[in-house]
Amino acid sequence: MSNLTTTPAVLHLNNVSKSFGSNRAVRGVSLSIQPGEVIGLIGENGAGKSTLLKILSGNYRHDEGTIAVNGREVQFRGPADALRAGIGVVHQEQSLFTNLTIAENIEVNTPIGRGGVNRLGLYNWRRLYADAAQALDLIGSHLNPKTRVSDLSFVDRQMVEIARAIRVSAASHTTPLVILDEPTAILERTETAILEREISKLRDIGSVIFVSHRLDEVMRICDRVVVMRDGELIADRTVDDVTEEELFRLMVGRETHAAVRSRRSIDPANSPVISIHDLTRAGSYADVSIDAYPGRVLAILGTSGSGRESVARAIFGAEGFDSGSVSIAGYSGRQLTIKKAVALGVGYVPAERKTEGMVGEMPADQNITLTHPGSAALGPFELPRRRLSLARAWFEKLDIRPREPGHTLQDFSGGNQQKVVLAKWLNSSHLKALVLDHPLRGLDPGAAETVNAQIRSVCDEGTAIILIPDTIDEALDIADDIVVMRDGRISGVFDLGHDNPATLDLLERML
Amino acid sequence: MTKIDSERTKVAVPARGKMPSVKRIGGWHAIGPIVIFLAILVVVAILTPAFIGSGGLAIIASSSAPILLLALGQAMVLNVGSIDLSNAAIGLLGAILLALTLGPVAGLSPVIVLLATTAFGAVNGLIVAYAQVPSFALTLGTLGIFQAVALVASGRTTVYVASNGEGVHALYESGIANVPMTFWMGVCLAVFLWVLLRYTRIGRGMTAIGKNESAAIFSAVRTRSLKVLAFALSGFAAGLAGIAIIAQAGSASPTGLGSDLLLPAIAAALIGGTSISGGVVNPLTVIFGALTVALVPIATTAVGIDAQAQSLVYGAVIIGVVALTMSRNKSSIVK
Repeated sequence: MSNLTTTPAVLHLNNVSKSFGSNRAVRGVSLSIQPGEVIGLIGENGAGKSTLLKILSGNYRHDEGTIAVNGREVQFRGPADALRAGIGVVHQEQSLFTNLTIAENIEVNTPIGRGGVNRLGLYNWRRLYADAAQALDLIGSHLNPKTRVSDLSFVDRQMVEIARAIRVSAASHTTPLVILDEPTAILERTETAILEREISKLRDIGSVIFVSHRLDEVMRICDRVVVMRDGELIADRTVDDVTEEELFRLMVGRETHAAVRSRRSIDPANSPVISIHDLTRAGSYADVSIDAYPGRVLAILGTSGSGRESVARAIFGAEGFDSGSVSIAGYSGRQLTIKKAVALGVGYVPAERKTEGMVGEMPADQNITLTHPGSAALGPFELPRRRLSLARAWFEKLDIRPREPGHTLQDFSGGNQQKVVLAKWLNSSHLKALVLDHPLRGLDPGAAETVNAQIRSVCDEGTAIILIPDTIDEALDIADDIVVMRDGRISGVFDLGHDNPATLDLLERML
Repeated sequence: MTKIDSERTKVAVPARGKMPSVKRIGGWHAIGPIVIFLAILVVVAILTPAFIGSGGLAIIASSSAPILLLALGQAMVLNVGSIDLSNAAIGLLGAILLALTLGPVAGLSPVIVLLATTAFGAVNGLIVAYAQVPSFALTLGTLGIFQAVALVASGRTTVYVASNGEGVHALYESGIANVPMTFWMGVCLAVFLWVLLRYTRIGRGMTAIGKNESAAIFSAVRTRSLKVLAFALSGFAAGLAGIAIIAQAGSASPTGLGSDLLLPAIAAALIGGTSISGGVVNPLTVIFGALTVALVPIATTAVGIDAQAQSLVYGAVIIGVVALTMSRNKSSIVK
């Protein structure tokens, strides 16, 4: 079908625009992707990446410009059209039916009748399994198509999503274009390595658009990086011609100002705020002892099976433990509840911001005073005017934008939401320790940097921070102490005041 | 630095562009139930001018009183993301207890009834919060239990107030602006609940539970106690409804006045803008929800719609009105 002398681009966008009312979300984007190319698409939240992806997946229709797939101009009337043209999207939030088998998930979008999988509305189970196995084989995965998705690890589920994305184009023998929307956002480092390998395999059968906030990954995986800002495509570079710092500057519009943290060893005269001793929870972690000191950031590293998240939740009273003790500011009890932990001065920023960290439909100011009303309270009452002025002060101090504390929190961008969640705890008159579970998850680099700056300044004011970081680099960047966990046990403790562990050393202790 | 700031503000523009529309919906949410009540009233007034002239409004208000009281309790429970199917049964049981005890203990009787119904509600809440039985299933069960208790307590017949009924009866006989005190009792409760929700930490916590219970738990909101309180308030409001029933009828029976108020009260709460999935409620607009629910059957009669078609009109109006006033903040998830 394709001309042998000049292979047409897999995807060619010419001057594509899309507006929502007066807001021009995507403005005149032109982009061309060759077969076998891996393109990195980066940009801050709100830069127009998601809108562009939704145009490509057929969810939105563009207002202006043309889209050509394999040299032919196309008009997508819906996601099914995009799939048929060979464009498959793996969404940020996984969209698999966990109660069904791998095969059923992969075949869910196959057109009826065509491949014979679904005839007269009935499944041909043998064909279903065979076709799914073929799709998995194509991307080099050896998962059994009969396995239920609920039994799979996160990384394996991602593979199923990729197989599903290429399934339709494999059936119609077109070159697939797979769009991965932040596939690594919640992967641990080791899992990321696996996914990176899989992406490079995709190169052999088609092209990839890789959306990520992790610039180092983009540099490693991609051939070319395109940067979006304010709806426009402002840069298109091959990875050899660009550095991480430059990408950051292009995305955010300013230089990074990550200062190197000056560190001291633990002062022997100080006593820990939180001291956990031989903490054990059957099946999750065992004999964990950690001391967190005021004014220090303690990062706990580990893979997803390390049990570090459970330890963090135990400190906040959100999960129970079987034996050992947690003492907070001198108090030590068998039964630690969230209420007790909060009364003792512990705050917790959960990894699942939208479901656990904030009440998205409530205004930002009401979220801030939800736990500690501070000066907004008058006996059992809470005065809206005082609450608003208190919230304004936090918006000013943490630089939360836009400066509209009366707006519903879900309307803010991720980084600003996270700062509101921080403010909720900082509003305590007796905050002694903050437990941060993946505080930078899903934030773009600019937002992550400002949140990190706030965490540092809170710490410098004398709060103990216990951090579950996304990456080793994040820990090396901000922590004073690093504890490494492996399979529920501590495998390394470093005081960065005098230890200087190498990334590889930390990684070894994690695996 | 300032240049950078302006650039970063621009990035936030898409989110901002969305905000006014949310606000507009909020405004409609506040006045919608009032507008709809008045609109229906105007239609009725044009078709049958005599209805308004002959004190029709007072009739609507007085017949809406028990519905309003139950709807307010229901709205509080809906606000924490639960439902109380038993509150009308608690109200009727309260009415029967009141009729039985007014004779022997006189003035103490309403107090005992309110304490009892509040306790019934609290028991519902305790089981929902601590045994984590879904409220729909639990209150469906307690609905049956309270009905059975009402049958036993009343001996399956109508219980008349033997003596000392004057005080309670006066709540219906006397009034302000021709509207009986039972209705104003509901208005007072609505104002009290409005203040509770808007200006107190307790109310804020309840709304947070309805909007996102996990986040409320992780924010150290006392979710269990507040759920119990919401159900207790529903029981208390049901007790007031029981008093209103006795005030109006002077008697109570398991099958008489007040035995079919559950669904009208839920309808009133919904028409009043309460979200059935929790977290959105305004007790003041629930007043108009109750008035609308009371108005529709009276209006269909006044306008002269065939008796057989009345429940059809009633049903159609409820669906239409809820479609208009329903809060859709919760994206597209409607339970």
